Amino acid sequence: MFEMDILLVLIPALPLAAAVLTAALGKHLLRGQSHLPAIAAITLSCLASIMLVFQVQGEADRTAGDTERVGCERIVSLWTWAVVEEAYPQTQSPGDAPADHGSGAGKLPLPPVGSGAGKLRLPPVGSGAGKLPLPPLPAARSFQIDVTLRADPLTAFMLATVTFISLLVAVYSIGYMRGDPGYWRFFAYISLFVFSMTMLVSASNFLLLYVFWEAVGLCSYLLIGFWYQKPEAAAAGKKAFLVNRVGDFGFALGVFLIWTTFGTLNFHDVKIIEQTVLVDEVPTPSTTLVPEGYVGNAKVVGQTPGVLGQTMLKGPGLYEDLYQGLYADRWEWVATAVCLLLMLGACGKSAQFPLHVWLPDAMEGPTPVSALIHAATMVTAGVYMVARCVPLFLASEHALQVVAVIGCFTALLAALIALTQTDLKRILAYSTISQLGYMFLGLGAATLMGVTAGMFHLFTHAFFKALLFLGAGSVMHAMGGVIDVRRFGGLRRLLPWTYATFLIGCLALAGFPLLAGFFSKDKILEAVHGQSGPLYQALFWVAVFTAFLTAFYTFRAFFLTFHGEERVPPEAGHHAHESPPSMIGPLVILAIGSVVVGYFSKWIFGFLEQTPSLAYGGVPQEAPGAEHAAGGLVVGVSVAVVLAGIAAAWLLYVGRRAMVEQLTRAMDSVRLYQLSHGKFFFDEIYGLLVVKPLEALAWMSYFVDRYLIDGLVDLCGLLPKLLGALLRPLQNGMVQFYALAMVLGVLVLIGALLI
Amino acid sequence: MDSEIALLHNYLIVGAFLFGIGTVGFLSRRNMIVMFLSAEMMLQGVSLSLVAWSRFRNDFGGQMLVIFIIAVAACEAAIALALVVALFRRSGNLDVAVWQQLREENQPPFEEPELPEEPSEQPPAWPTLAPAGLLPKVPPEQTDYRSHV
Repeated sequence: MFEMDILLVLIPALPLAAAVLTAALGKHLLRGQSHLPAIAAITLSCLASIMLVFQVQGEADRTAGDTERVGCERIVSLWTWAVVEEAYPQTQSPGDAPADHGSGAGKLPLPPVGSGAGKLRLPPVGSGAGKLPLPPLPAARSFQIDVTLRADPLTAFMLATVTFISLLVAVYSIGYMRGDPGYWRFFAYISLFVFSMTMLVSASNFLLLYVFWEAVGLCSYLLIGFWYQKPEAAAAGKKAFLVNRVGDFGFALGVFLIWTTFGTLNFHDVKIIEQTVLVDEVPTPSTTLVPEGYVGNAKVVGQTPGVLGQTMLKGPGLYEDLYQGLYADRWEWVATAVCLLLMLGACGKSAQFPLHVWLPDAMEGPTPVSALIHAATMVTAGVYMVARCVPLFLASEHALQVVAVIGCFTALLAALIALTQTDLKRILAYSTISQLGYMFLGLGAATLMGVTAGMFHLFTHAFFKALLFLGAGSVMHAMGGVIDVRRFGGLRRLLPWTYATFLIGCLALAGFPLLAGFFSKDKILEAVHGQSGPLYQALFWVAVFTAFLTAFYTFRAFFLTFHGEERVPPEAGHHAHESPPSMIGPLVILAIGSVVVGYFSKWIFGFLEQTPSLAYGGVPQEAPGAEHAAGGLVVGVSVAVVLAGIAAAWLLYVGRRAMVEQLTRAMDSVRLYQLSHGKFFFDEIYGLLVVKPLEALAWMSYFVDRYLIDGLVDLCGLLPKLLGALLRPLQNGMVQFYALAMVLGVLVLIGALLI
Repeated sequence: MDSEIALLHNYLIVGAFLFGIGTVGFLSRRNMIVMFLSAEMMLQGVSLSLVAWSRFRNDFGGQMLVIFIIAVAACEAAIALALVVALFRRSGNLDVAVWQQLREENQPPFEEPELPEEPSEQPPAWPTLAPAGLLPKVPPEQTDYRSHV
């Protein structure tokens, strides 16, 4: 059995090694075997992640009875990346905190600051009172960024999801990418992505999170533009990158604000140790254990609380006491600002309204990339980040409402657009946006159940959406690259395995009872319904309507593709056939997963609730005034709308296609059809509002630079040139001429002297 | 004292003449060796006046300086002649105008002014020695005047 620390380092390190190896050797040595390092590394990472999940569970079980610690949080500091000494002056010592803030019962005793860190009394060893008191904050804190990984249930859960889906998609890619000239490049990128994503979810400070946030964005860019000879792919990659910049800018500002507010970017508490302690000064207890208050033989003299660290989260009144810092009187505003900026970052990465426009275009990349990065893992980074920062979001009611509203609105918007799209992959992309909206809605519900339901939906969605994308890839593979649902149909006899697995994926996505999507979506709906207030009730009914739309558009795409008369586009040739086993295998595994993972909901919920930031963070177990009898109602309504959606799709697309025409015409007359088919014209609006003005600005800058600035510089150059033209004839190469000039010069000098 | 001044004047006049001849030679001749000789001559003119002043003012500094000048001139001669040889090897010519392409770009080359054609001379006649032991047969009209040697 490996140590938890080793596992935690191995999980990202192996894919990194594979990426380097493939990039170095792939082109000339590995060629068609380039998948071997990636597959091997991701397999080992996946096994390590699963082991990590069990170890974290075991650790959490051990601390079950402990009042001091809840769940499991393991921090591995690898090395210090950057240090700026005394970067954060403590403007107000916590001991002087106004008493009115700390009147809450949960306030921990703060030792007087005057006692000084160095003089901290050692607790008597062996006595029961050996707990470390909440230490005084140092006068000034250094800006120190450690490369630190963490293991807690949330991270372990994400790691397992990411590596497992990555493994299946990588195996699928062996068949799908076979024969591509960039075969080695593809697997190098995939390994790099797995490294970045695992680092993203295991990073334990905001800066490292940001770095790998950008790294996954880079991998996404590289993989969308994988077929860079295709202009659409290159443009789509650029668009994804630029739209993400907007969100990342907000995220960066949020990180800056966190630093100025809290004076730390770490999630976890950092122990301040006194380096110079002689061994014999360490009081030796009767056992060989290191005494409380010591790390090795160094004395712990204090603790810098992390943003999401246990010290900070333990007492509800502690936010105000410890961290008023620069913004003592404006804490409400600052909290809202931080959360909204972080949410902007999450909107960019997770393709939420207003930054959702990049994800459908990202489908220009290879289909396994769409499945892995743009459906199952990378786009959920925003959800993960918000879930990780839920204690922060709880400080601001408005921020949580914004999260819920954005999520719900995006879910509805994307579902409406998906109704009329004809590109199979794009339908799935809009469905991804919609489902991510659901996750944000769950997080925005701000109860423990909402947060865990959002994360659980992330988990089940990773299975069935990866399955659907890989199925779409299988269809595309058989149809010779055609992906427009109008050009083929009735493929169920031609592609039996794809048909069966795709059906399961569709049922899971639609939320058909007893499949994975049903459980997770219901939990979200339940959490939203449980929140009181008219806003959340409205959101609940919008979400229910969206569930209907989801079922409808999912089965519209399914019926168009697999039912009706058999039509095969000419690009497929005469050999339209089922995909090779390396592609079918992952489909089957994912299909099984889409059916069964829903039944693990209880265990997963229990697991995630042991995350310290959720357990300590004051996340309410239940919304105040929740109606407990709502469960049955929610399930009933959701099942009803799902069945209605599927039935409507059956009626229209299998029963009578003529009705589709009529309906389209009817919608057309009120311009609703164009609105949906034109994706609500977001691309056009952004083009008019953002792209065109920027292009005009760039054009102006070009002209100013080319003619004004360059003109001035040229003018300066012209002056010496003219002067030189005057003097140049003097240098004519004749030695006698020079000598004569010298003689004349001397004569002039002599003449001047004489006069 | 007057005689001293007169003596100084003599030396200075000779020195100035040497310098002037050297200058004119340097400016008017294009043969590199002759130009070098002219430069040396200017140097000697200056040295001479230095020595004269040194003697006049009873200050040996000037003479010391001249000795230095002579030493340096020897070195300089070695280098200059080596250069001349190298240049001659490259161009096969001692004319300094051959190297006039070392001028600023885009400048017109120096062009040799057209010289008027010299009148063709008689082929040179060389003196002939009479065989030993015999009186040369000299025409009587040439006994006291010879048109050429």
